[in-house]
Amino acid sequence: MDCHDVLLVLLDYQQGRLAPEAHGQVRAHLDGCTDCAHEDRLEHELTQALERRLPQHAAPLALKRRLAAQWPVDATSPAPRRQWLRSWMPAAAAAVILLALAPLAWQRVLSPWGSGRDVMVAEAVNDHVRLVQSERPLEIESGGIHQVIPWFSGRLDFAPTVRFTGDSDFPLRGGAVGYFVDRKAAALVYGRRLHTVSVFVFRADGLPWPRAGLEKLGRLEVYRTASRGFNVLLWRDGELGYAVVSDVDPRDLSLLVGRLSAS
Amino acid sequence: MRGGGERERAEALGREALAYADGLYNLARYLTRNPSDAEDLVQETYGRAIKASAQFTPGTNLKAWLFRILRNAFMSHYRRDRHNPVTGGLDTVTPRLPAAKDIGRQRDSVEIDRLRKAAAEDIERALLSLSEDARTVILLDLEGLTESESAEVLGCALGTVKSRLSRARAALRETLRDWEP
Repeated sequence: MDCHDVLLVLLDYQQGRLAPEAHGQVRAHLDGCTDCAHEDRLEHELTQALERRLPQHAAPLALKRRLAAQWPVDATSPAPRRQWLRSWMPAAAAAVILLALAPLAWQRVLSPWGSGRDVMVAEAVNDHVRLVQSERPLEIESGGIHQVIPWFSGRLDFAPTVRFTGDSDFPLRGGAVGYFVDRKAAALVYGRRLHTVSVFVFRADGLPWPRAGLEKLGRLEVYRTASRGFNVLLWRDGELGYAVVSDVDPRDLSLLVGRLSAS
Repeated sequence: MRGGGERERAEALGREALAYADGLYNLARYLTRNPSDAEDLVQETYGRAIKASAQFTPGTNLKAWLFRILRNAFMSHYRRDRHNPVTGGLDTVTPRLPAAKDIGRQRDSVEIDRLRKAAAEDIERALLSLSEDARTVILLDLEGLTESESAEVLGCALGTVKSRLSRARAALRETLRDWEP
């Protein structure tokens, strides 16, 4: 592999998309070529800058509610008139209709808050939104798990068992203390590219855990659902309960749960 | 009358589609440059998705499908109707190859230093200074779409995505390097 070949696949190399043999060839070239190694560092720095510091804009909750109301249960029914044209009368009429229908559709599609299971899901999503929207979401910034976990000592009535120290896929950003339903919870915040993933750890006893619809994820039995545009996973592990919430792809959350449970 | 299975399918599709609202809105913000137009664009995207949902095959890539709809909606409405001040194309910056060693080690060190120190608003401004195509390909990559998914969104070949992304990142680096803090 010469410099030209290496630079063509440098991003694939950095994102782990190369086959092992090609990955090894690029690694060997970078070890012996200062120019390409420098290019590798620059690209890495650019990725870090984009992933960690580029402002990300979350959809306003009001928009999410409108979208939920907009999506009909019967998907073949006509879509609402285009908002794009922004002429006054159709927009005003659409707003009135959406306002009138939003609570009904929201409840019908996304929020059947009837069961204890749904209360837990709603609580997890609310806690996540509070963390993300808070001006100071993290009470302890991460300098590593061994800095974050000891910080909880004396602040909780249980020891949160989380040994996953974070990695380049899911860097640990920090933690905070909050409440989950009626009890204190440790909130750990991981990053996933531009997104935030909240992991809540709390005492599991006495909560209405889902008993049906569980899926096997490694050694765990996990309840997976989506609510208000967020993906949610709930599971018990011994005396502790865990809730993971984020807007990242469900497959990414499965990866994180695997790392949390494997440690 | 729709059967129960179809209703459940529509509900499941709606739930999954809503999970991508943040990513879609983020791309819309960077394309339209303002919150109000971004909201319109995302709502238009879901409106189009609803109309076309019968054509969506369950089990295929919903995320890429939605991003493609958003991009098409942007291209067909926003770009046509409103003035777009950024005219620079993707091909205005060529990724650096070893032939460009003349830049020198000192300048490279400065570039690394600037990248490390670039504040959030500098990176945002630099990204917004790129062409729409360059912004899109960078944001799709950040959103976690694979190159094949990005190719599906952009309606182009995989190789084209690779070269577009490479050129877009080179342009971004050049903008940030020349930025005066």
